[in-house]
Amino acid sequence: MDSKKAAQVIVQGLKKAGIDFVATLPDLKVVEVIGAVDRDPEIKHVPLCREEEGVGICAGAYLTGKKTALLMQNGGLLNSCNGLTTTCLQFQIPILLLVYYAGDLGDRGFTTVGSVTEPVLQGLGIRTYVLRKTEEVEETLRGAQILAEDSRRPVAVLLTKSVLGVK
Amino acid sequence: MQRYDYLKTIAGDVGDALVVSAGLAAREWQALRPGDGNFRPRTLGLASSIALGIALGLPRRKVMAIDGDGAFLMNLCGLPTIAWQNPPNLIHLLFDNQCYEASGATVTATVSGTDAVALAKGAGYRHACWVKSPQEFREEFLKAWKRGELGLIAAKVEPGQPELPPIRVDEVENKYRFIRHIEATEKRSILSPADHRPSS
Repeated sequence: MDSKKAAQVIVQGLKKAGIDFVATLPDLKVVEVIGAVDRDPEIKHVPLCREEEGVGICAGAYLTGKKTALLMQNGGLLNSCNGLTTTCLQFQIPILLLVYYAGDLGDRGFTTVGSVTEPVLQGLGIRTYVLRKTEEVEETLRGAQILAEDSRRPVAVLLTKSVLGVK
Repeated sequence: MQRYDYLKTIAGDVGDALVVSAGLAAREWQALRPGDGNFRPRTLGLASSIALGIALGLPRRKVMAIDGDGAFLMNLCGLPTIAWQNPPNLIHLLFDNQCYEASGATVTATVSGTDAVALAKGAGYRHACWVKSPQEFREEFLKAWKRGELGLIAAKVEPGQPELPPIRVDEVENKYRFIRHIEATEKRSILSPADHRPSS
């Protein structure tokens, strides 16, 4: 599957999960997903300058009834840890974290950030699902959003190159 | 003049605006305009970003963010994002006491001349100004309120605040009360029913 098609699958999955508000910061691997989010009239897209502000923006939108996702690279997840802790966890505010898993199997150049990603999420107590198969995108996103809402906590879905249709 | 002297001039003007303020300012605002439409974040810097999220979610409702200089400097990257979204219903207030007052009053970079209004303008805020007195603050605030465009109003203030009652609502209760307040005033349902059971 090419990256455009993969992006459509992911964005359709987000919409079926009820997501209508997405804050993003690019990684080369998620550019097509960001483009698809931006073009979708049913989703409010907020491009960010740094990922942690996205935690605040999504939290504020949640308070008004939006169903929010924050799309970023795992380096951005590390940038967001204080906001995730002292805004999301402390106030019990859910966000669906869509995190490109740089430094995952077969990736070069990002193995340091890759190696700390799951331990950091575990340390934060944020439940984490690694998405490797396109056929599991819709069900995983829907299920993760239900978990986030029901637990009133962020839930992370790690996007790998195979579900993004990139090398 | 302290921040409280400025805030008290507008407390009667803001109606049912939703207000996001952290740190010491939160207690002052809660004393001046009590109610559940006040959200009190605990992450230094994120008040303005949370206010942006609220303003985007409720575009017909007035929203205010109250920042100190420490918070403002912590989240400079949030300014271009706010300016880019340009929510017409958001008013950003900045009280610059040139120190991290709640963290022991160590000075911030504004003591060296860093200009918050210039930063906001550079980030893309079309309206941003310094005011020099509580009276001028109120005049600029009312102008901004009437104008209905994104704006920043900033004042240099002395540290300190009067004796005020403590806030007895914790973070989770603050969240629920704030959401219930929006549900009641916007006449919309936000939280799922607590007895919700999946159909399948």
